[in-house]
Amino acid sequence: MLHVEGLSVRYGPVRALESVSFEARSGSITTVLGANGAGKTTLLRTLSGLVPSHQGTASFDGQRITGRAPEAIARLGVSHVPEGRGVIAELTVDENLRLGTFVRVRRGDRRAVVDEIYERFPQLRDKRHRSASTLSGGERQMLVIGRALACRPRLLLLDEPSLGLSPIVTAQLMATLRELTAGDGLGAVLVEQNARSALSVADWAIVLNLGRVVVADRPARLAADADLRRHYLGF
Amino acid sequence: MGLFVDILLSGVAQGMVFAAIALALGLVSRATGIVNFAQGAMGMFTTFIAFSLLSDGVGYWPAFVAALALGAVLGAAVERTLIRPLQGKPALNPVIVTIGLLIVLEGAAGSIWGNVARGFPAAFSQRGLVIGRTRVAFSHFDVFLVCAVVVLVVAIVALFRWTNLGLRMRAAAFSPEVSRLLGVRVGRLFTLAWALACAAGSLAGLLVAPLSSFSPYFMDLNLVYGFTAAVLGGLLSPVGALVGGLVTGLAIALVGGYVGPDLQPIAALALLLLVLMVRPQGLFGTTKVRRV
Amino acid sequence: MTASHTRPDAEARPSGARARAALRRVARRQWLPNQPLVRHLILFVVGAGLFYVLTVSVGAYNDYQIGEIAVYAIVLGGLSVLTGLNGQFSLGHGAFMIIGAYTLALLQLHADVGLVGELVIAAVIAAAAGAVVGVPAARLSPPYLAGVTLMLALGLPQLSAQYGSVFGGEQGLTTTPPAAPGTLSPERWLAWIQLFCALVVLVLLANLVRSRFGRAFRAVRDDDVAAAVSGIHVARTKVLAFTVSAGCAGLGGALLVLSTGVVNVGEFPLSLSIALLAAMVFGGAGSLVGVWWGAVALVYMPTWSTSLSQHLSLGTSAAAYLSDAFFGVVLIIAMLVSPAGVQGGVRRIGQLLWRTVAGPALESAPNGLAARDGTPSGVAGGGVATDRMNQETKERSRS
Repeated sequence: MLHVEGLSVRYGPVRALESVSFEARSGSITTVLGANGAGKTTLLRTLSGLVPSHQGTASFDGQRITGRAPEAIARLGVSHVPEGRGVIAELTVDENLRLGTFVRVRRGDRRAVVDEIYERFPQLRDKRHRSASTLSGGERQMLVIGRALACRPRLLLLDEPSLGLSPIVTAQLMATLRELTAGDGLGAVLVEQNARSALSVADWAIVLNLGRVVVADRPARLAADADLRRHYLGF
Repeated sequence: MGLFVDILLSGVAQGMVFAAIALALGLVSRATGIVNFAQGAMGMFTTFIAFSLLSDGVGYWPAFVAALALGAVLGAAVERTLIRPLQGKPALNPVIVTIGLLIVLEGAAGSIWGNVARGFPAAFSQRGLVIGRTRVAFSHFDVFLVCAVVVLVVAIVALFRWTNLGLRMRAAAFSPEVSRLLGVRVGRLFTLAWALACAAGSLAGLLVAPLSSFSPYFMDLNLVYGFTAAVLGGLLSPVGALVGGLVTGLAIALVGGYVGPDLQPIAALALLLLVLMVRPQGLFGTTKVRRV
Repeated sequence: MTASHTRPDAEARPSGARARAALRRVARRQWLPNQPLVRHLILFVVGAGLFYVLTVSVGAYNDYQIGEIAVYAIVLGGLSVLTGLNGQFSLGHGAFMIIGAYTLALLQLHADVGLVGELVIAAVIAAAAGAVVGVPAARLSPPYLAGVTLMLALGLPQLSAQYGSVFGGEQGLTTTPPAAPGTLSPERWLAWIQLFCALVVLVLLANLVRSRFGRAFRAVRDDDVAAAVSGIHVARTKVLAFTVSAGCAGLGGALLVLSTGVVNVGEFPLSLSIALLAAMVFGGAGSLVGVWWGAVALVYMPTWSTSLSQHLSLGTSAAAYLSDAFFGVVLIIAMLVSPAGVQGGVRRIGQLLWRTVAGPALESAPNGLAARDGTPSGVAGGGVATDRMNQETKERSRS
């Protein structure tokens, strides 16, 4: 569903991405690994339209998305969960979730979609009228993922969802992700520092180094390669 | 006692005008982080257009509505042509652009309509109401003025609090990038905020024109009083704008009544400086004034 | 480093190399001495000579206008230092002009301190007012600074109506121009005084720019946090810039009303304050040469817009507004395109011309680049220099 071909991005003279190509299929999780500064976040930001690409194309369901505005790409069903502060702290939990439903959910179904998110994350229901700024780190992560799901996306772009979470919460999160992508044709691109947990859940993995794809393979084979682990994955 | 009450009443009416301007400044500031110093001049310009329509025999209310609509169009046009290209430039640039727009509009109005102080008609009688046996300094028109501004503030609060459009506008203002990732068309909402603000600025112009000598410069002082009110109210909150407007209006009226009308601007400046130094976030707001 | 005085001097070089070195000094604008004060004094004398010729060759009415240009050059110089160097700005410099103007008129009425005393006191009082405004202004971000100075420009003039017995109300106060010596016309004498003041002020400002204070101004403008970290008192620096700037405006106001013969607040509307800002931007923020462009625009724009409005048959009243609108448009365009004003344009044209005229000559010179690095160029007569160079190299390697 997502087809990236020779994508290059430059920040002035700095080459952030250099001819990156990969594919992400629906019903599967593709993880993008690499050290700090390898270009992982830039890749996601380019796919969602926040960063202009220099060369190459990305297409989603056959439609070219490079060169489109972020809001237009979101309307196609690409949901980018940015790293860190994706929560709009000035709004309540409920308002954050409702905001997700405005684009791809019909007016009459919006309440039901939000309720569905509360089913999945009951903690959020308890705090629905609280300001999002009062949530804990784990709850914030639930909220941004819940909000992305409320968009009824076809492709999730997740930037470091495990950042700052405890191992248990991270494991739960990965299980949720696995479950979400198992059924209804949702694909996910998962950018992670925490390579071990990402590899445990992904169907396909690519490793970026200095903006280039250095390896693209099955997660099990990456995890088995000791050299690769030591050089790029840090475990 | 009678004088004191009259001063307070005129302060309330004036304060409502300042509240409308503060609301307009707040709407724009909230959306695009800019203080629009041309807000007063834009209201002046549309009020002059209403004046032209009235002179051509158009009825008061059609002219009134036309001025509000033109205000919205002017606001949207300014946002698109002058403000959007400045995204990402230093904060000084949009300030200077709105200042430039201020004297361009005043110059244009002066060239078209001339710098003669005229009278602008009021929608209702401007004779003071009789309460009990005394005539107070509060007319039918003042009642209309207060109601109009209160309705405006309530409508804006309701828009933000209870509608999906308002939710989107708040989200776009607080976190434009995340909003765009959720498919919110942030650019359009900013244009809409400018349009709404400038319609509110037009309303302020139409309401205050009968109370003042109507010339291309009649909004200058109202703008700075409105700015004081906005800072007092915390810039971003509509209710803050209302309270800030009232406080400023009363303060101005008291200075005018007991000290001298010519000291009003300096008194407002003192009030503004006091707020900026003591409580820069305003009485209600959480705006951050950057301090060194 | 001791090696600096052993650098080969021009005398040791062949004449061709000497000529090229001279050419390069011109290219790098080293045709003036390095000491700022001497350099600025030379510019002062050149400017004074130019203006002398200019005033002698024009009529009395033009004397008046030339004097006005000089006055605005002073005001714009102060504003340019405030904005271009210190990153602050003001929409209220008309107010400081008013303070200077009324100070002068009141001194003429009630005291006998002589012209120099009047001007100095006017500048000092305005500077003091600038310090008072500068203290809160230093802490404000641009929108709030704009609001505060805007209110000052609107509010201060009304004080003259409030205290009519002191300030003469709407009619204002009258001023007496200084008596001209000999057969000189009073207009020309006043224009000379105004020009002299402008040149003195600009030289002082130019020295300030090159001084410790000027460096502090720029450091605060570029990054106030970094400036604070490196030991600059940011707020004090900003207040100082505001004070200097207001003092210039006060002196300008005082000199201006010597020409008009009357002080009244109608002469200093809000649009003047904004036009001052626009004229400063027009000349090029931070350029002390550019202020003359801005001053010419301020003085001649009303005249030009009168003829333009006659040409467009807009009626006479439109002229004043066209001039205001022009300055508004200047501000908007400058902010949208952000060029360096007229002086920036002149400098760029100059550089282009220089490159096309002198560029090939420089490039065709053999060892042109090497010579700049201090290595000997040419062979004949280079022996001494080469020896010295070797010595220098040895010294360097030892230390």
